[in-house]
Amino acid sequence: MTASRSKNGLRAAAFVAAGFAMSAAASAETVKIGMVNSLTGPHASFDLPASEGILMAFDEINKKGGITVKGKNYTFTVLSEDAQSKPELAVSGAQKLLRDDDIKIVYGILTSGPGMPAATLFAKSDILYFGGFTLMDTLLGKPGFELAFRTLDADAVVSKSFVPTGVKELGIKKVGILLPNEDVSRAITAAYKPLLESSGVSVPIVEYFQPDTADFAPVLRKFQNMELDGLLTGTNDAVVEAIVRQSTELGNLPKKFLYRGGSGGPGIKYAKQIDGFAWQILTRDLDYPSDPKVKEWIERYKAFTKKDMSPNTYWALTFYDTVFMMANAMEQVGSVTDVKAIAEKVKSMRYDGVRTMRFDKDGRAQSDIDIGMLKDGKISSVRAPFE
Amino acid sequence: MLLDIAQTAVDGLMVGGLYATVAVGVTLVFGIMGILNFAHGQLVMLGAYVAFYSVTAGWGFWPGLALAALSMALFGLILERLIFRHTLTDHMAGLTVSLGIIMVVENLASAVFTPDPRTFDPPLAGSVQVAGMTLSAQRLLVLALVLLLVGTFYLFLQKTRFGKAIRAMGQNRTGAALVGVQITHVTAAVFAIGSAMAGAAGVLYGSLFAITPYMAAGPLMKGLILTVLGGLGSVPGAVAAGFLLGLAESFGARYLSASFRDGYGFILMIVTLMYFPTGLFGARGKARV
Repeated sequence: MTASRSKNGLRAAAFVAAGFAMSAAASAETVKIGMVNSLTGPHASFDLPASEGILMAFDEINKKGGITVKGKNYTFTVLSEDAQSKPELAVSGAQKLLRDDDIKIVYGILTSGPGMPAATLFAKSDILYFGGFTLMDTLLGKPGFELAFRTLDADAVVSKSFVPTGVKELGIKKVGILLPNEDVSRAITAAYKPLLESSGVSVPIVEYFQPDTADFAPVLRKFQNMELDGLLTGTNDAVVEAIVRQSTELGNLPKKFLYRGGSGGPGIKYAKQIDGFAWQILTRDLDYPSDPKVKEWIERYKAFTKKDMSPNTYWALTFYDTVFMMANAMEQVGSVTDVKAIAEKVKSMRYDGVRTMRFDKDGRAQSDIDIGMLKDGKISSVRAPFE
Repeated sequence: MLLDIAQTAVDGLMVGGLYATVAVGVTLVFGIMGILNFAHGQLVMLGAYVAFYSVTAGWGFWPGLALAALSMALFGLILERLIFRHTLTDHMAGLTVSLGIIMVVENLASAVFTPDPRTFDPPLAGSVQVAGMTLSAQRLLVLALVLLLVGTFYLFLQKTRFGKAIRAMGQNRTGAALVGVQITHVTAAVFAIGSAMAGAAGVLYGSLFAITPYMAAGPLMKGLILTVLGGLGSVPGAVAAGFLLGLAESFGARYLSASFRDGYGFILMIVTLMYFPTGLFGARGKARV
């Protein structure tokens, strides 16, 4: 992921060490924060940068002296558990955190497999939980999940800006949808297909493939000779890169792609073979930043992690701003333990950080996103406001 | 429609060839040592990484292919000398050890290479037109290399003295020893050859698909299916089963459902074993190499 090719195991250890370092630096008044993320395994490409963003945010708060609640000074210490991209280990990691009575707030997990059972456990334990995985949208608003927040925009929100922008910029008229056979994909289709059609784009074919597919030739053959000019696909870089690559190899397939779920890497790599590629940067475009806040954040990230940017670094902003929101909420409600009051305060905020965001009454993020665009061989990004 | 069927068939043969290369290594080790080496998939993964680093270092695909085969042969030899030699008489121990090796190699690979998917530029890009069909040039190259690799290996088994020794051991280990076959040498050589095949398969796999530390499960699972489907220990059986599986997956995903792709292989295996209990080329319960 980075030039340094640091070892993930060592990174995981470093994160825990960082948590203890924060602890050591803190005064007697510390707030323990739990963090579960897949620091190893196939989901680490999402969760590892996300965990870096969490640690970075708490580190910045601590370095500024922490927060002041009713005249008392508090700093934060982060205790990290590695879900290893496995649901059962996400649960055991969560259980381990819950054994510590001081932990009332937990951050982490961007993928639905490990995320669903962990979020359910946190809800049962009255934990204030900030997660990012897609299927969290199916939990929010249900009884028992009042203390849960999803820090990335739901597809229903993202698609409203992404579809019209992508269709207009790439000039697409007829699109096929190709997604992995997962619950998430049905939700994506339900959100995107009507929007495509209302944008004047016909969608004659929707196909779902086995999630761990490597060879897409047979399913791509279904899309051949349909006079499609676009393909809406997802949901991660590895899959989409394989689809783009194999599309160019097989021929007679669309050369414009709308990508739901990851970075611009898959399109940029094959920029010479395709005609267009639009992708959702659910946080901020870190590769071609024009926003001074983003530029400053990048420098701070490099200094904190001692790593360069990678195509996945933008996940580090998944939780970053919400850490500050949560800390501000603690100060405003005058408590570091009253998680219900803190949650209510977070839901009433509009925060103008690196991202501009707020949460609705159910804990769903509403934030502005960047949309990456590869067109005519040139890469750019468009900021899509949420209001 | 006919063109579509032909294209799907060629797609199936191309990916089936890859499966066959993995299965040959698995079945060879089984035929000689009597263990299903679950760690075989890890050698496929490591071979793919060797090629990735070879290509990204500027050495190119072909040196990468040779290097992957040689380095995996050496790694396989080390595994045999240090570990599997000591489990020869206990097949369950061999199987358990191979499962342990999976965990060690996979986690080490994840730590060293990171979990991020890697790809490298194949020697051939784009598509070619063959008899009205649009086919991937690299996939055609992979199919040609697989046929060359498997064909050469089959001739080696059939025509050379050493190949005959391997076949003799597959038929009866004690009998082979009695007629002067150096059992320990042949065992080590078989492990090295099987591992080299896995390394080569990894390179070919990596030239088409993404490489990750966790990629081994797929090729291994299919390799094991093919080993059973072809007849335990049968090299021709593994090859035939590989192509059959490729065709089943390709036609199933194209004309039925792509979301059930891996299921077609198991259906094929179940149906085949109902009519051919010892596999396609398995005979009278004997391992045949």
